[in-house]
Amino acid sequence: MSISLSPGGTILLEGPSPSEDAELLLQLLLSNPKAVVDWRRCSAAHSAVIQVLMAAKPAMLGPPAGRALASWTAPAIASDSPQQAAGK
Amino acid sequence: MNDFLQQFLVESRELAEQATEGLLALEHSPQDADQLDAVFRAMHTLKGGAGIVDFFAMDRAVHAAEDLLSCARAGTRALTPAAIGDCLACVDQVLQWLDILEQTGELPNGSDADADRIIARFAAAASPVYTEPSAESAGGQGWIPELLARHPGERSRAVTAVRHSPDPGCFFQGEDPVAKLAALPGLLAFEVTSATPWPKLQDLDPFRCNLLLSALTRDSLTETNNHLRGCSGSCELIALTGSGDTEGGLPARARELLAAQLALVREHTSAGSHGYLASAAMTGSNVLRSCGRDAEADQLARLATADSMEDTLPALQAVLTGLLKDDAVEAHVAPVPAEPAHAAARPETTSRTLRIDAERIDSLVRLTGELTVARNALAHLVKLAFTEANPIAPALKARHAAFENLIGEMQRSVLALRVLPLRVVFQRLPRLLREISDSLGKPVALKIVGEDTEADKAIVEMLFEPLLHVVRNAIDHGVESAALRAQRGKPRAATIELQAARQGDQVLVEVSDDGAGMDVQRIRAVAAERGVAKAEILDTLSEADLIDLVFAPGFSTATEVTALSGRGVGMDAVRTSVERVGGRVSIHSRAGRGTTVRFMLPFSVMMTTVMSVEAGGQMFGVPLDTIVETIRVPRRTLAAVGNARAVVVREQTIPVFDLAQMLGESAKARDADDATIVIAAFAGQRCGLDVDALGERLDVILKPLDGLLAGTPGITGTTLLGDGRVLLVLDIAELLQ
Repeated sequence: MSISLSPGGTILLEGPSPSEDAELLLQLLLSNPKAVVDWRRCSAAHSAVIQVLMAAKPAMLGPPAGRALASWTAPAIASDSPQQAAGK
Repeated sequence: MNDFLQQFLVESRELAEQATEGLLALEHSPQDADQLDAVFRAMHTLKGGAGIVDFFAMDRAVHAAEDLLSCARAGTRALTPAAIGDCLACVDQVLQWLDILEQTGELPNGSDADADRIIARFAAAASPVYTEPSAESAGGQGWIPELLARHPGERSRAVTAVRHSPDPGCFFQGEDPVAKLAALPGLLAFEVTSATPWPKLQDLDPFRCNLLLSALTRDSLTETNNHLRGCSGSCELIALTGSGDTEGGLPARARELLAAQLALVREHTSAGSHGYLASAAMTGSNVLRSCGRDAEADQLARLATADSMEDTLPALQAVLTGLLKDDAVEAHVAPVPAEPAHAAARPETTSRTLRIDAERIDSLVRLTGELTVARNALAHLVKLAFTEANPIAPALKARHAAFENLIGEMQRSVLALRVLPLRVVFQRLPRLLREISDSLGKPVALKIVGEDTEADKAIVEMLFEPLLHVVRNAIDHGVESAALRAQRGKPRAATIELQAARQGDQVLVEVSDDGAGMDVQRIRAVAAERGVAKAEILDTLSEADLIDLVFAPGFSTATEVTALSGRGVGMDAVRTSVERVGGRVSIHSRAGRGTTVRFMLPFSVMMTTVMSVEAGGQMFGVPLDTIVETIRVPRRTLAAVGNARAVVVREQTIPVFDLAQMLGESAKARDADDATIVIAAFAGQRCGLDVDALGERLDVILKPLDGLLAGTPGITGTTLLGDGRVLLVLDIAELLQ
């Protein structure tokens, strides 16, 4: 299991996060709406996981371990859609 | 003006012409990638030229058009008629600037404001595309410029833009689209967004993919396509540089050059070929550098400067072979289905042309004219030689015949130098036609046939105004309103057909519309009302003659004067300018079916065929195209009608004038039993000229009257006869008035 809830209420993502994690991540985020997601040890995340993070937009504790995550996914989670942001 | 600027003017005009031509073609076939490329190249070169002469306003304006075209090439913006209109407006502006530049020798004042206006046009047209909210613009066109704008640093390096919207169920297929795109080898920028706005978190289905991925990559279209093969959903791949000939890593031309270097290296393996090898290495290095492959370029450059060839030869061969092989493999991996059509080999049509000042050509034409006169003189001498049983006369005659053939051929070639295709004037019409049809609210389609027909430069250039006028008239008066057309069972959009064809020594140009045709009764009424002709004459006129009345000065049938036509200076001006160059114009109309205006124009204005006639002891030339026939009738059959005389030819009564009398000779009785009559026709009228004798048919180069003779009525020009006499060529139309 690469996803867990720390006793302090932080959601931890570790190692590669497969698509199955998306369901659990969503439930954790629903039940802990204010939870911080710590992905500093996350090396990769499946698209399904990424889209849950994008939809929920939790506070992220990073940067993530995976370089691709840091470069491309982090901005998407920070501001869901740059296009929409520009259009507003 | 310096030569530099002169050159800029000439080239810019040509480029503007090319661009216009291409843009108009694109209007009909917006998908024509070759045409789009051609327009883009023309605009690009135009801009470059403006930069060289420091004409920054033009640089900016053309740049705006070039931007749009570049987006169109990348497929990021559709080439709408409005966009083409903007580009045409830009070219028009450029042409205006060029005119001012030519006249004043200086960059036009206020060009910056004009440029701003042009740029604003493009900006205004572009903005709606750019500001569309992303969710709706999923199928729109503006994503590439936006993407590039957000990653300005990658603009120069990006080769392919990707937009992937995976299938919503793709996660169940084991796909991971984000990872797939993130793994593109040459990835420069990558954006993950939502395809539709995210729902409330409790409604989110984590396994239903709602992602929209866009990326910029350094990889070629082929490579990217291979990488993304098997992805579900839609995937747009756009080549950004537009270098459609890029196969694999290297453009086709670079590959060709490298292959040539490799061949060179293989040929020169012996000692003493150091120079060849060094130059091959250097060329290869330059080719690679221009493709951005600096590392390999440096490697080759080092080889080029090496001292000993024994070491470098294998290395050089290996590098070049390696480069070409790599590339070939990449190129063979798979053909890309999405690859645009312009990857197909385009034969380079480098036209071998030489730019020559029109004046030099004209002087050549004049010289040929003199040569013709000299030839005619020689013909005269040959004739004289025969009369005196001269032994060399037959030889002289043979030589003369050969000489005559050569001169004839030379004359044709020289006149061909002044020849232009009618396309030059035809291509200006579609746009004006569109403006006219828009302003009148009558949809019109233009069909052009035979635009490659050629004619003398003077004819082609003269033709524009008359054609425009006739086309205007056709739309304004000829074509019914769309509603009325529908009622009459015609297609709503009218068709105007512009047709050109060469007919012997003449060029036929026709403008036909499928409108209502001409209302003969109204012409009759208007002609009577405006005093164009007397009512009793009007009653006797045939339908064709009535229609011909619209060419009469002061005739205009428009009940409503529009801004476009109907100002009463129309068709008579058309006829005047056409007849000035020796052409004729006529109208044929069928009620309810449409009207055709027919121009018959000489192929060349420089050469005229005349027939010489003798009257009152003098020789005169009569242009052959005005002569219908020549007849010889017994003098007693000339009937006196009032003060004049007339002859009946095939049941038609034709007035006969004594040419000598008309030209101011005193009347004298002719003793001959037979009268020689030249029947000439002009502007629909026929008349007979009573002459003393008929001479011969001559090809002459007419010289306009100048000096004291200038403005002499009834004479169009002069030419020299073989024996040195001056032949006055008559202007039949003027004589008849």
